[in-house]
Amino acid sequence: MLILAPRHVPLPYGLRAAFPSPSPRCMLRTMDAPRGSEEGRALGATLAAVAAGDRAAMRLLYERTSAKLYGICLRLLGSEAEAEEVLQETYVTVWRKAAAFDAGRASAITWLAVLARNKAIDRLRTRRAPADDLDAALDIADDAPLAPELIDRQRDGRRLAHCLGELEEKSAAAIRAAFLDGLSYPDLAAREGVPLPTMKSWIRRGLIRLRGCLEQ
Amino acid sequence: MSTRPPHGAEERDLLAAELAMGLLDGEERAEAEALAARDHDFRAAVAGWSGRLAPLLDEVVPAAPPASLWARIEARIAPPPSNVVQLRRKVNLWRGYSLAATAIAASLALVVVTRPAAEPRSAPPQTLVAMMQSDAGPARLVATYDPATRRLIVAAAAGMAPAAGHAHELWLIPAAGGKPHPMGIVSAVAPNKMDVPMPMASDVREGATFAISVEPPAGSPTGAPTGPVIARGKLTRA
Repeated sequence: MLILAPRHVPLPYGLRAAFPSPSPRCMLRTMDAPRGSEEGRALGATLAAVAAGDRAAMRLLYERTSAKLYGICLRLLGSEAEAEEVLQETYVTVWRKAAAFDAGRASAITWLAVLARNKAIDRLRTRRAPADDLDAALDIADDAPLAPELIDRQRDGRRLAHCLGELEEKSAAAIRAAFLDGLSYPDLAAREGVPLPTMKSWIRRGLIRLRGCLEQ
Repeated sequence: MSTRPPHGAEERDLLAAELAMGLLDGEERAEAEALAARDHDFRAAVAGWSGRLAPLLDEVVPAAPPASLWARIEARIAPPPSNVVQLRRKVNLWRGYSLAATAIAASLALVVVTRPAAEPRSAPPQTLVAMMQSDAGPARLVATYDPATRRLIVAAAAGMAPAAGHAHELWLIPAAGGKPHPMGIVSAVAPNKMDVPMPMASDVREGATFAISVEPPAGSPTGAPTGPVIARGKLTRA
């Protein structure tokens, strides 16, 4: 099938050259950005340039993050065709809403990964639902800041792993399956062969303990 | 839909976690989403849980998407103006086209009103407009669509000289993406009036894209665009 794009699309060359001269807004974002890895900061600046309407930055962002985001979509949806559609939706939303990203609140890659995951979950829960509903649902998820404590990703990852390890095994397994495989309460209950209220209480008990552990 | 709001801070925070994780389905999910839509604190709690659990996503094995995907994304993001002057010029241009389209629509509306068997008027129609253009060529078209009557008008504003042995075909790309639907051959010289059939009408909505491709005189033989796309534009509210 022919790709519906203008014939003379900008070529990828010069992308990196275009980058070291960020827009004033981009500079501001970079200066305001919290301490993080060099790579994380670069990604945050890229996202800020995307927010300013820089298409070359958008391409760079896509090159750097699409494999991670596609992996997430693929794992949750289990279908390449759907994962492609959802990935496309994700980046179109990124283009539209990059300004909602707040470098003071979350790392760029976390913001993007959560956005892709939310889109995939929306697709799972509302397969073939009217687009309006999907958009409304996404608008909710997209503009809300992530928890401020999530700036240092490595530290957060270690803490989460530690705290999940403190939970009962069945709670931790259910939480992981919900988050990574997109299983709903009914899915999880069926998979474990337990009544729905039992699964709910496993997860809710786990979440309460998890929150307590993470807040310590 | 009104149900009891979740009582207590604990209950609300757990509901936020459940929504963030995607554990809810059907009505429960719809209710939690409605709560998030109207309650800022609840929305923040949902985002907080997403963030807390986000490090789990680092475990997911990355996978390279197909190489063609970027082109599909790029096609859907509007080309930015290269500078403010150009933008202003463009805006002025479009203002002109838009006025022309409105005039065409108004004259057609007049025809409809004076006809005895005019379609019944429903709630205030949200007229949609797509300004179709391309970076590469001079073609510019304006499409106006009235959802109440399902009447689509496509008028070429510039750069659409009819080429010998070729036709211009209109395509609809749904807002959610997917395959372009053929909408018919459009004339470069006269405004094109089409009635969008019912099953397709739901796809002619805000965010959907119209595109024009060059095709054989009878239109694309395959049902998908076969020639170059000379103009495209997204439907927005007029």
